[in-house]
Amino acid sequence: MSVKYIPVQWNRFKYVYDAVVLALIMGFLWVFVHLIPGLLSYDPAINPQINNMRAFGACAFFLMTLILLIGPLARLDTRFLPLLYNRRHLGVLTFFVAFSHAGFVMAWYFSFSPTDRYVALLSTNTSYGQFLGFPFEAFGIFALLCLLILAATSHDFWLKFLTPPVWKRLHYLIYPAYTAVVAHIGLGVLQDQKNATFGGLVVLCAVSVAVAHLLAARFERRSGDPASEATAPDGWEDVCAADDIEEGFARVARLQDGARVAVFRHEGQFSAISNACAHQNGPLGEGRIVDCLVTCPWHGFQYDVRTGRSPAPFTEKVPTYNLRLRDGRLEVDPKANPPGTPVAPVDAPETLA
Amino acid sequence: MTGADLIINTVTVWGLIGVAVAAVFLTVGMGRIDEDARGAVGFRPLLVPGIMVLWPLVLWRWYVLATGTDNWQRRHDPPRRGHAIVAAVLACVLALTLVLSVALRQSWPSDIAPERLSLPGEQPT
Repeated sequence: MSVKYIPVQWNRFKYVYDAVVLALIMGFLWVFVHLIPGLLSYDPAINPQINNMRAFGACAFFLMTLILLIGPLARLDTRFLPLLYNRRHLGVLTFFVAFSHAGFVMAWYFSFSPTDRYVALLSTNTSYGQFLGFPFEAFGIFALLCLLILAATSHDFWLKFLTPPVWKRLHYLIYPAYTAVVAHIGLGVLQDQKNATFGGLVVLCAVSVAVAHLLAARFERRSGDPASEATAPDGWEDVCAADDIEEGFARVARLQDGARVAVFRHEGQFSAISNACAHQNGPLGEGRIVDCLVTCPWHGFQYDVRTGRSPAPFTEKVPTYNLRLRDGRLEVDPKANPPGTPVAPVDAPETLA
Repeated sequence: MTGADLIINTVTVWGLIGVAVAAVFLTVGMGRIDEDARGAVGFRPLLVPGIMVLWPLVLWRWYVLATGTDNWQRRHDPPRRGHAIVAAVLACVLALTLVLSVALRQSWPSDIAPERLSLPGEQPT
């Protein structure tokens, strides 16, 4: 949560997260550099420069796979949410690993020549009209550019400046980037491999990413937020029966205009706010209320459900909704109030009685 | 000018414009549109690479925020409807890429002996 921007927001959990990721990266590189050449039995043999280049490239690919698995896994099982919490640091580290891979490529394959190395990179192979022999470097350049954009826009400033939906759409670049990396590997190093081990791992990773996303999409379709119904003549929309909401939790509903509203029950009263957190549009309705504050399950941002405001000194705000109780059912006015507008809570039927 | 030169020159000009935009935005514009940035200086250099790459987007958002035409409702409308489409397209493209790259393998012309490059006196691993 922000008051003033700082270079990197670290806390104890993030220190541990980053330390574990760094240890995994260094361990992977050590194993790849020292043990893998023997296991993969390179034929023809490769020199240390190429081995280093492949180590960093493989590390970047596996990190991208991990990054892409975290989202759907957290959707399918909330025990993976801690991995989501600091995923942006993982993304930045992945960019630096991929950048190192590119550095090794440039320092070996496109050096030792009077031709400018960048000119050589772009002009050595221009067979763009064929699949076999396609300049796979182009896929790598594209993926690296995508990773640069993702890493360079990872600071919280960008979320607020671009708005979370635009930022999210920008970060959808991870999908074409990953596809490009798979093509980069498939048309590059796999063409040179006689040992099927690495190729098998690449296929396993790519299939895992695809299956995890399909499972998460199916989960979302089957167990996603139910749509509300426009039942009242004045346009208010029916969300659910008051008894359906458990104390301290929320029921999320999709309004007719597509917006999601989270209706919370707290101390015998109901309040409704936007389901989208102001930070990254995380699902507030899946958070739990403690002392009138709901905590976003993604990154821990908190809001008072009666006002849509973060507790001072924090400044984040989400829209609130007017709510009413009619015949034991909760109805919401689909016109959202501006972020941070206080709305008087509605008493539950048993409270009224 | 070759195609490679054209790409490199375009990237260079793009980056230089980005540096100019970053210099003005980070020193003059940012504090006017974001209260959380006022008095916060240490994080600003971290934004330079992003502005260099995305300076047209930065200029657009700067204009929108500076003129007060930002629509607050759009901030709370995440693109969740696109997840299923993204998942389906991703699965199809990945499968196609893997099948093509595994099925269609190029082979080295048998009449050309490959030459391995190494530094003088170096032993390959």
